[in-house]
Amino acid sequence: MTDRNAQTPDVVRLSIPCHAEYVGVVRLAILGVASRLTFSYDDVEDLRLAVGEACAGAIDAASDEARGKAAINITCRILPDELAVEIQYNLAPYGPPPQRRAVEPDLPADAEGIGSLLMEILVDSAETTTDPETGTTVRLVKKVQPL
Amino acid sequence: MEFAVSAQPKTNGIAVVNVQGEVDVYTAPRLREEIHRCLDQGSHKLVINLSEVAYMDSSGLGVLIGALKRAREENGDLLVAAPNARISRILEVTGLSKIFNVRDTVPEAVTALEGTPT
Repeated sequence: MTDRNAQTPDVVRLSIPCHAEYVGVVRLAILGVASRLTFSYDDVEDLRLAVGEACAGAIDAASDEARGKAAINITCRILPDELAVEIQYNLAPYGPPPQRRAVEPDLPADAEGIGSLLMEILVDSAETTTDPETGTTVRLVKKVQPL
Repeated sequence: MEFAVSAQPKTNGIAVVNVQGEVDVYTAPRLREEIHRCLDQGSHKLVINLSEVAYMDSSGLGVLIGALKRAREENGDLLVAAPNARISRILEVTGLSKIFNVRDTVPEAVTALEGTPT
């Protein structure tokens, strides 16, 4: 049994191929994990959307080769009062990103970045880091609102 | 609910695009394809019926923004009809509620488009 007093998070990991069709699987998993905390319906939906946006960002940045071979790794760290979700992917070994945006090719330049905006708005903390070894990591934290 | 999209052409260059399910990075290309098919066939006034859409992410919003831009370039328009509370909230927090003309029902949206010049 987890020692909650020591604030050791339970950890749930999921890895999906870097393909659009698997983002729905991640959203379902987040629904299951988030239901272990006392989030409101809107909080859960906000987190699902933010995580989906992070995964979509990976797919958008992936070359054709990366879409066949790269993985998106999702790690959920569950504490009584917050859920932190890390979305990590490394696309560098698979060549440069495509010239044309895959996810939103029609989007006017002045409307780009909606996905990033949603991530920032919908969770309590959204941080993106890049590392030459591990690639990109998006860390999203949603805190349980006190009753 | 399984994703589905179909267009229902009406008179005066108006078409209602009925969407069901979740619009995300996987399904948004099919929505884009259907909308562009309508525009290519001369329906430049579009109502996007979201009454059966449970979820929409930035990919779906991107399709709608691109379609709105193209429709207006072709002297048409695009109205969003019957979004659920979640999608309305997303439109609000992104500021897109100021860009899109949103109506509560499809008939309201169609009536609004009927009153615009062809």
